[in-house]
Amino acid sequence: MATETASPSIQLGDYIVIQRQKYTKLQKFGSLDTTATLGKETLELKSLLDQPYGSTFKMSVKETKPGKRGAQRQHTLELCSETELNSTREALGISSSGADNRDICDNGEAQSLKSADIEQLREECNESSKIIEKLVENSKTFHNRTEYSQEKYLRKKEKKYFEFVQIRQPTIRLMLDIFYRQDAEKIMGIRVDTLSQIISYSGVCGLGSYLLYESGTNGLLPAAMLNSIGAGTEGSLVHMHPGNVPQKQALLALKLPLEQQLRCVSVNLYSVLREFYQGGETIGSNLSVTEPTEVVREETQPETPTEDQPEAIEPSTKKPKLEEVKGEANKGPPRWQLENKRATALMHNKFDSLVLAAKEHPSSILQALLPLVKPSRPVVVFSTCKELLQETYMELKTSGKVTGLHLTSNWMRTYQILPNRTHPEVNMSGNSGYLLTGYTLR
Amino acid sequence: MSFLKPKTHIEKGDVVILYLSVSSMHAIEAVPEIVNKKGETIPHIFQTNYGSLKVENIIGVEYGSRVELSKGWAHVLQPTPELWTQTLPHRTQIIYTPDISMILHQLEVRPGAVVIESGTGSGSLSHYFLRALKPTGHLHTFDFHESRADQARDEFRRHGLADFVTVYHRDVCNLGFTEELDGQADAVFLDLPAPDLAVPHAFKALKLSGGRFCSFSPCIEQSQRCIQELTKLGFNEIVSMEVLQQESVVKTRTLPVIDLEFLKLPKSEETTTTTAANAEESKAPKEVKKYLTSSNPQVLPGHTGFLTFATLPPNIPKV
Repeated sequence: MATETASPSIQLGDYIVIQRQKYTKLQKFGSLDTTATLGKETLELKSLLDQPYGSTFKMSVKETKPGKRGAQRQHTLELCSETELNSTREALGISSSGADNRDICDNGEAQSLKSADIEQLREECNESSKIIEKLVENSKTFHNRTEYSQEKYLRKKEKKYFEFVQIRQPTIRLMLDIFYRQDAEKIMGIRVDTLSQIISYSGVCGLGSYLLYESGTNGLLPAAMLNSIGAGTEGSLVHMHPGNVPQKQALLALKLPLEQQLRCVSVNLYSVLREFYQGGETIGSNLSVTEPTEVVREETQPETPTEDQPEAIEPSTKKPKLEEVKGEANKGPPRWQLENKRATALMHNKFDSLVLAAKEHPSSILQALLPLVKPSRPVVVFSTCKELLQETYMELKTSGKVTGLHLTSNWMRTYQILPNRTHPEVNMSGNSGYLLTGYTLR
Repeated sequence: MSFLKPKTHIEKGDVVILYLSVSSMHAIEAVPEIVNKKGETIPHIFQTNYGSLKVENIIGVEYGSRVELSKGWAHVLQPTPELWTQTLPHRTQIIYTPDISMILHQLEVRPGAVVIESGTGSGSLSHYFLRALKPTGHLHTFDFHESRADQARDEFRRHGLADFVTVYHRDVCNLGFTEELDGQADAVFLDLPAPDLAVPHAFKALKLSGGRFCSFSPCIEQSQRCIQELTKLGFNEIVSMEVLQQESVVKTRTLPVIDLEFLKLPKSEETTTTTAANAEESKAPKEVKKYLTSSNPQVLPGHTGFLTFATLPPNIPKV
């Protein structure tokens, strides 16, 4: 028990979460030469190979190169034990503090070290505690600061000079934090509380067959749903998207077992609906026939009109994809055609819930997909914009096909909880997006 | 048995949601006969605001169908944890969907997870845990109230969930989560008056490879004590938050637009002959505009509880 850990080890090709204090980043560990950039620090990742996830590594400066914004430092990483991570306050043995800030003025003279001195220190010392020790030694005001203020100072300096990074295995929770912080737009502004409710209201779980349409969340929505479907279960997911190629980063990052990955069928919305409504003969003939390449060209281009989907289809991704498809087509039916067939089979059996997060107007998509959902099943529509969902609410209500309709949004606030210093965090997110939920009727 | 997986038709013994309106829903058991207070077996007739329902008639009906009541109609829905939370018999205060969703997300519950919950209460959260972790995981749920634990156990059995849950009658603050569970859990959830007392037990119950922790408490002081204890034991990523859901009431409003421009002009000759009121009406035919609007209701939940989450990092020795 003492030495046994269940933590899997870091492998080439894995996506990894690099954490330096509160900062986290998703990175593909593609080859031994891969480096990761954290601000002004560049990390060589090769020493991570085969180490268990959850390990902490120490950064040591290897070389300093002039960069666009000051010096860029290249670091190697070295596995270290948790015990090396002790509190800076304890390491420095700070004892005296002031009672309040009456003797502190901001005149820019408090720190007697010049910035060049500090840069030099950074190259000489590997340990942040040593650098901070020098900073404290050379600060005229540090010991007059209050204990709280000293702590804040140390935290701030520690953040800057902290030399440890932790490598973690990506999970939906960690990735959502990263994506939302980096660029919420790229995941359509789906905030953590909203994503958690999409999963709840849609009822997605290990049993059943689920339908998702999303127009670009870096793979986060399909990944979250497939994660809830789980490994070694019977659940399946049809993931419809508007582009040629589904966004799959988050799905790949989860490193799910193959059998689970195969239960997520990603298909183009237009192409699969055409197949569903008028597929029969064309597909039958395609499979046996001689000219699959022709079919590819015919099918893929009209189905993804560039006017409708400017962001989803970029010329750069389109060309190689077509080439690739052609290459595959020579050996047999192209992959997308097989996926379409698998998806239509599931569509004929109907779904146990529908989740829709569209950049397009949800109304027509709902009209097309609602008939594919069994009665008494949840429907969840996400939008950052309330007006769209108001209209959709009324349409669904008048149609009588969906009941129990609710249009909701969320208010979420995090708290700093410390002895005698408990208060809400200064900043909070103002837009959770909106959810329209209901249950289908027969 | 209707909680086990999505199904199409109502079978005898299913819990069924009788949906009358957004504000009126009932959970009923689809059995043709029940035993009344006098101990007699009588036909199961369910009374609603729209008249009575002979429950026998809904057995075999497809979920999502409309069923006739003596003075109206309703829909029958398959229960989900969300619908169950809104209709379940309250034995305690319960946690609702917005908080629960955040708990499941933060605890990273997925099929195969082993989760410890205390207390069981009315089983509102338990049903969500079970949906998320079945068919390969297991829920261990603890309550110090014996009859509540018994009721919950019976309910899980009737809902077809018995294989995935163990219900314990036990005071976890004093006695912990039993030795068998040491180092077994992926996640621990506490909803207790003194969560700090159970934190050391949670620490022992979590796997050596680490795990996630959550405590739900209505008062901030409970969170403060809990966090002190968590910090002492080496938990990190400690975050506290509040989540409140706001409903938007969607309505089409028809607003009259009144014309005030004509008041600037002197009254013309013809109008002086008739009465003033008539004249204004004939001159300014009432214009109306239609708007699709939404607004928040007058009263909203303003506080449910503080959610405190933490991570137990891997390989912390548990002496």
